[in-house]
Amino acid sequence: MNIEQLILATATFGSLFAVMTVCLNIQYARGGMINFGTVAYFAVGAYTYAIFTHEPPSGLDRYVFGFDFPWYIGFLAAGIASLLFAVLTGWPTLRLRGEYLALTTFAFAEVLHSVLLNERRLGNGSVGLSNVERIDFTQFGLADKYGYALAAVLLLIATIVLCRRILASPYGRAVDAIRDDEVAAQSVGKDVQRMRFEVFLISALPIGFAGALYAMITTLVNPMLFTAEVTFFVWIALVLGGERTIKGAVLGTIALVAFEELIRNFHFESVRGAEIASSIEHMMTGVIFILVLRLQPFEKIKTWRAAQ
Amino acid sequence: MTSKLTFKKRLASSVVALSMALGPQAASAEEGVTFGVLVPLTGELGEFGKIVANGVQLAVNQINDEGGTSCGPIRTVVADTGGNPETGIREASKMIESESAVAILGPTSGVMVALADLAKRTETMLMSPYAGTITLNELGGDFVFRTVASDLGDGAVSGLWLEERGYKSVAFLIQNEESTISPAEIAKSAVEDAGIELTDYIVYNPGQPSYQAELISVLAHNPDAIYLAGGQNSSVTVIKEATAGGFEGEWLFTADLAVPEVFDLIGAELLNDRAFVEQADSDPSLPEYQAYSELHQSKTDGEDPGPFSANSYDMANLVALAMEASGECTGAGINSKIRDVAHEGDVVTTFAEGRAALQQGAEINYEGASGPVAFDETGTVTSPYTVSAAKDGVWVLEKFYPASTFIE
Repeated sequence: MNIEQLILATATFGSLFAVMTVCLNIQYARGGMINFGTVAYFAVGAYTYAIFTHEPPSGLDRYVFGFDFPWYIGFLAAGIASLLFAVLTGWPTLRLRGEYLALTTFAFAEVLHSVLLNERRLGNGSVGLSNVERIDFTQFGLADKYGYALAAVLLLIATIVLCRRILASPYGRAVDAIRDDEVAAQSVGKDVQRMRFEVFLISALPIGFAGALYAMITTLVNPMLFTAEVTFFVWIALVLGGERTIKGAVLGTIALVAFEELIRNFHFESVRGAEIASSIEHMMTGVIFILVLRLQPFEKIKTWRAAQ
Repeated sequence: MTSKLTFKKRLASSVVALSMALGPQAASAEEGVTFGVLVPLTGELGEFGKIVANGVQLAVNQINDEGGTSCGPIRTVVADTGGNPETGIREASKMIESESAVAILGPTSGVMVALADLAKRTETMLMSPYAGTITLNELGGDFVFRTVASDLGDGAVSGLWLEERGYKSVAFLIQNEESTISPAEIAKSAVEDAGIELTDYIVYNPGQPSYQAELISVLAHNPDAIYLAGGQNSSVTVIKEATAGGFEGEWLFTADLAVPEVFDLIGAELLNDRAFVEQADSDPSLPEYQAYSELHQSKTDGEDPGPFSANSYDMANLVALAMEASGECTGAGINSKIRDVAHEGDVVTTFAEGRAALQQGAEINYEGASGPVAFDETGTVTSPYTVSAAKDGVWVLEKFYPASTFIE
């Protein structure tokens, strides 16, 4: 087992997914909005980055747009595109509540997935866009693996700072008030629709950036990478870590990714061994999920630390 | 504050202790040279992944039994991708970083495309025995190679078969994936050029509980044959529903269904004497293939080599020979010689023969169980193809197309 590799992979992918969990935490635990379409904003960010930085089509390519911009233009475009997609999806849906909102956001994500899969002129359909432009960290004297881990951690820190500042402000308390009692908040003059919409938009921006970074790391965007499984992963992480706190959202995600990486860090020299490991990975994830929900270790750590 | 610091110190010391406990194991494991075997062991392509991993393992065991390479014995580490590119990248990174793998063998098309950039950056040989995707026609040739022909060849042989079979009308049902669409488009052109009526050309998304909607038009036109380019999961439903809907014509499948398990999944009675499958395959009359077949049977309780098994065996032998030829135990060394060992020189058919010739200073041309494996500029070989027929619940060779059939 290579501990450095384990830590780097956990830091890279854990931070990327934690950006989504923190944003989901804002939407759900603070804004009271159940978003089952988180992956869509992630996909929009990744695809926008790829389209903006990819070379124009040639040879067997089916996509139409490839602007060949440098990575930083693509990165900015990814955040903006995710924001615009949030405007598009948030405007008609945020009047809905609870499970209706959950189903509608899920449907939006599925529609997007279907478009990406079937519309070859947009992102090459099921083939996707490969060889996506990436930052060359070696020019800064940093190996790529460290560079991307650092970039993902920095993005997570920026997201946490943004969310903390918002939630600690009077604006954040107004958001809490709306979640706790919409009618009471309205009665003291809070524009519920507008504030919910704003929270939805703000939280879409970091997810778009995370999508761009994900595209750089994988060097590929493909509909197979952006399925509902990503949304469910983020939701599981949020539930594991505990709702309502940013720390819980981050810890839940890091713990889940670390567990996956730990299992995968054991390489097997036989096909049978790899087969068994692969089969038990999902089973173990399920068992741990049940145990965490039943035993609530994060709550116990919190209590223990408070008692120190 | 004190309690926070204490907690952090404890956490840090735990990480250090864990690193110390686990670190030395990684160092002691690094003996000889490591090949990463990255295949789908789960999911729709799981059956193929097992065949490929076993083919590689047979070659590696044989090489090690004969004294190993000049870099020492070959060790394999196996990991499952489930066919997912992200998992592939994470697993491949670990194989390269943690296990110092000099080659990653066996990824499927989607994973292969995702890994091309990583392979070039880390100077690791990436090779597949079944990734036919045409995207590799642009990405391959440097650190990225395959011992199978491009999917375009599958399209050509399908078109040829449909024409030779004398069908008057054919319907195309294609799963929405690049690896099925590209050959289907080539086959479609061949069908149109041959004057066969193309009654339907339907691209469907997999994962549906039913394909009745796609089949309505196909069944209404009642074609002589259906060309079905789909994965195992979707194809099972399509075939059952088409048969239940009254389709009595013949089928031509692509390589995804070339495994014996389809007879259990679909039911042999629905396939026998009316279903055919095309695939890039080895020439069964080659003495090298027969020798490999015997070796396979002797190691697997009499099982015949499955699809792409011989290509997998040759892939591992080629990489080992390239390492011998370069005298370097690195991906860059393998990359520098991989073309040379299968191009011009003394024809050798095993690793042992090749190593002996190289030690005498000769140039070698490895021609293994799957036939000649000379790479073109895109890192692709030219494969022969077979069409097999469903007879009594098994696939039986119906027609062999040598590689020369498709060389213009």
